[in-house]
Amino acid sequence: MCAMRLTGYADKFGVHPGDTIKFYVNCDGPSEFKAEVVQMIHGDTNPRGPGFIERPIDTKVTGTYKGRKQIIHGGSYGYVENAPQFHVDSFTLQCWIWPTTPKTHPRYWKHGAQGLVTKWMNGQGYGKGYGLFINEQGCLELRINEHKVTTNVPIRDHAWHFVAASYNAATGEVVLYHEPQVVYALDPVIEPVKATIKTKIIHTPAPVALGAYIDRMDDDPLAKSALPSGVWFAGKYNGKIDSPRICNKALSRFEIEQMKAGAQPGLTERRNSGPTGALSEVIVAAWDFWDGIDTIVAKDNGPYRFDAKLVNCPTRALTGYNWSGQNFDWKYAKKEYGAIHFHDDDVDNARWEVDVEWDVPAEGVKSRFYALKLTTADGDEDYIPFWVVPKIGKEQSKIAVMVPTISYMAYANEHVACNAGGAELFVYRVPIMQHQNMFLAEHREYGGSIYDTHTDGSGICLSSRLRPILSIRPKYDHFLAQAPWQYPADLHLIYWLETMGYEYDVITDEDVTYDGVARLENYNVVITGSHPEHNSGTQLDALHNYTQRGGRLMYMGADAWYWVHSFHPAYDKHGRGVVTEMRRCESGIRTWRAEPGEYYHQGTGELGGMWRFRGRSLYSVAGVGMTNEGFDVSTYYSRTPDSLDPRVAWAFEGITYDEPIGNFGLVGGGCAGLELDIVDVTLGSPPHTLAVATSAGRHTEAYLLVMEDFGFNQQGLDGTTHPRVRGDIAFHETPNGGACFAFSSIAFCGSLPWNNGKNNVSTLVGNVLNRFMMDGPLPPPPADAIKHRGRADYESPAVSSAT
Amino acid sequence: MISIPKKGTPEREELIRLHKECVESMKGVAGFSVLKCGAPGDTTVVSGGVHEHPVLRRVLLRMRGESPKGKLIVICTKIDKEWRIGRLSGIRGVPPVFVNDKVYTDEQEIQHDIFVMRLDELPETAGMPEHFTEGWKHRDDNWPVT
Repeated sequence: MCAMRLTGYADKFGVHPGDTIKFYVNCDGPSEFKAEVVQMIHGDTNPRGPGFIERPIDTKVTGTYKGRKQIIHGGSYGYVENAPQFHVDSFTLQCWIWPTTPKTHPRYWKHGAQGLVTKWMNGQGYGKGYGLFINEQGCLELRINEHKVTTNVPIRDHAWHFVAASYNAATGEVVLYHEPQVVYALDPVIEPVKATIKTKIIHTPAPVALGAYIDRMDDDPLAKSALPSGVWFAGKYNGKIDSPRICNKALSRFEIEQMKAGAQPGLTERRNSGPTGALSEVIVAAWDFWDGIDTIVAKDNGPYRFDAKLVNCPTRALTGYNWSGQNFDWKYAKKEYGAIHFHDDDVDNARWEVDVEWDVPAEGVKSRFYALKLTTADGDEDYIPFWVVPKIGKEQSKIAVMVPTISYMAYANEHVACNAGGAELFVYRVPIMQHQNMFLAEHREYGGSIYDTHTDGSGICLSSRLRPILSIRPKYDHFLAQAPWQYPADLHLIYWLETMGYEYDVITDEDVTYDGVARLENYNVVITGSHPEHNSGTQLDALHNYTQRGGRLMYMGADAWYWVHSFHPAYDKHGRGVVTEMRRCESGIRTWRAEPGEYYHQGTGELGGMWRFRGRSLYSVAGVGMTNEGFDVSTYYSRTPDSLDPRVAWAFEGITYDEPIGNFGLVGGGCAGLELDIVDVTLGSPPHTLAVATSAGRHTEAYLLVMEDFGFNQQGLDGTTHPRVRGDIAFHETPNGGACFAFSSIAFCGSLPWNNGKNNVSTLVGNVLNRFMMDGPLPPPPADAIKHRGRADYESPAVSSAT
Repeated sequence: MISIPKKGTPEREELIRLHKECVESMKGVAGFSVLKCGAPGDTTVVSGGVHEHPVLRRVLLRMRGESPKGKLIVICTKIDKEWRIGRLSGIRGVPPVFVNDKVYTDEQEIQHDIFVMRLDELPETAGMPEHFTEGWKHRDDNWPVT
């Protein structure tokens, strides 16, 4: 099996007519590649469906391009450009650390020493400079040029330690301190290690690195994508660092203790910038990671203001060594949130050179799914998907497809099949890895998804779109489904729209997040993707505003409006929606769980987790909410008496009452599967919601009730027993002639292409779309449908059990 | 916990037979479960398999919960055409390796061969006190998901 030699990404997801989109390509091996723009119609290669379909587009882009290898310099770190103040003779380095992988397996992808606070360059194997490290054996180590002094004491992982090292150039004395915050009964005492090194520090132009060291600096073309360009950072550290300081004097232990306080901003009463007047004069840098948590700058509050640039977006808003457990929102206890967690697989931007650009014509280009198709003469192939999105006011159609790009980012480059032993307990079979998964299993520098844990085991809560995202690809079956998922699954819907001859526009989550209802209000109907799970607050605002004003929403999937997302403002200069953030807090389906005190987003400061637990029920958006998921096989829907109600009976024209709806399909073999939503008027479904079809009683034992719906572990939570493990197709009217139709299953769109679109799922969706795309308000419901309704109209369980 | 049925026992042969008939019936389904389709490749009615055979169900759960290190996995080598069996490294950044040269042309059949291989590899007392390791004290199992 060949590795992926072609990978790439674009500078934007959505491009307006008249604007330019840039493509960055890694062509690792072949001397040239061919690029062409294609329209994406169908991405599923399953032989039981219509197969892969793309449509060539005649553009000026089509041509052969010179290939070049481009790499991602993954792993986060902070750096400060070289400055004379760092060229010290004597020094003290100190910080708190909470390492996650102090010692790694010899075959671990980045096995070796990790840099903590360094001004040290490896060069040609003959080190120059000084720095504090964790060495390959997992022990604290001071390096001065080629000299190394270590405690020879393994550092405990996932625990806070205070570490420091001083060097007196006059005497050559080195003192190394390793002071664990947690000391257990049988832990040996760790005495300071003293040694003598008679040398003069050799200073280089290398930057100061936090959480890394410099391997070398050169003009290798592959180093262009490093930041700063040409600097090869190595020894990427996994874990938290808090309060690093560099002083230009060998401090006593007492002075080191005082220096923990760092720089103190000047006031009338305190005019120096250090813990004492004397110590203020020896500070070279005193970084306060609590200051500017929502930025990608590590603030130096010392006299020289050596603010460090943070590269690859390490995680912030995390508890520091001094967190007291009293405040859980970093905004109100910043000084207890002075930790930055660096990961050796963080990535915020691949920073590649542009290879291909397309100036999208201002006129004549339809708003559709497109991709830059890359091929080589040797049979290599990759697609870089993008969307042409009309400018507001220049909409081309009455129908908009809202592409769930935040959800695509959340799932970007997921590693679950590999990391989690296939997560077989929930997929209920042995998973299948595609060549994209195999490539990613080796190339961890491409970063993971928000479903993954980092290489150090901590949860990934940030995802960038400025990197090749190999899961947003056609011809890609996802291990969760053994079928398309997200992007290629949404192409099932696109194939159907194309085959049925509808004119439609495409807009992205990004557009709705930033533009609000202006992005929606000129459409008669908005159609979602199959799994719009991850959403920003302003996007949900826009959807509510749209449906309340008479807009029509067709919710084509399930498990939507679930997680709180925000775009990190520090990346706004690179465009819209570059880095998205999400925290997996106390409830919801979570492949990892945020640590105590780490629930608030670093970018916007808002509480993360489920929208439901921010008082914004997922049921309120389109009338249904997710109650269960299972990933083995799908089933079908049956009509309910609600479907005969004249308010909705029009949707079932051409479908008999008793026929199974969607007992076929390209996802799980049926239209009801993977993740499913139901009507629940106690959780936010409007009381007049009609549940017109249900899959109750047909799911396998792989389908399980979501944990937010129960408070006590018990048997009977699966599809063979639990009444809430089902999907409900639902309809409700919204004010001003609007409405929502929810199809409530991620597998649903996978049935649309069956038999080339000639099937009863297609009939149902067609009936709904034809009505929802009408101009003007929808026809009013029968007069007797207007009546007072309670939310549940039920008898209190307490009363009924007492009688 | 139940014991993993030993090689050569009728109980083990019965598990293999039940598993095989599910796999055969699932050919053509864009998904997979150890359940028997009423009609081949059609999930309208599913029965048997893990829904009706508790030993099969529990043995499969035990296999699925094994640690990622050395765990068998399916690798697609030609899209929708060819698949092979691989083994996970359990080390981040070290990709799976193929376990043999056998190429499968059906994505479901490979499930059965992995089931049989796992029956061979799992000791009768897997997961019981005689297999206690230090890893039990730091979550080195597959249950925490990622």
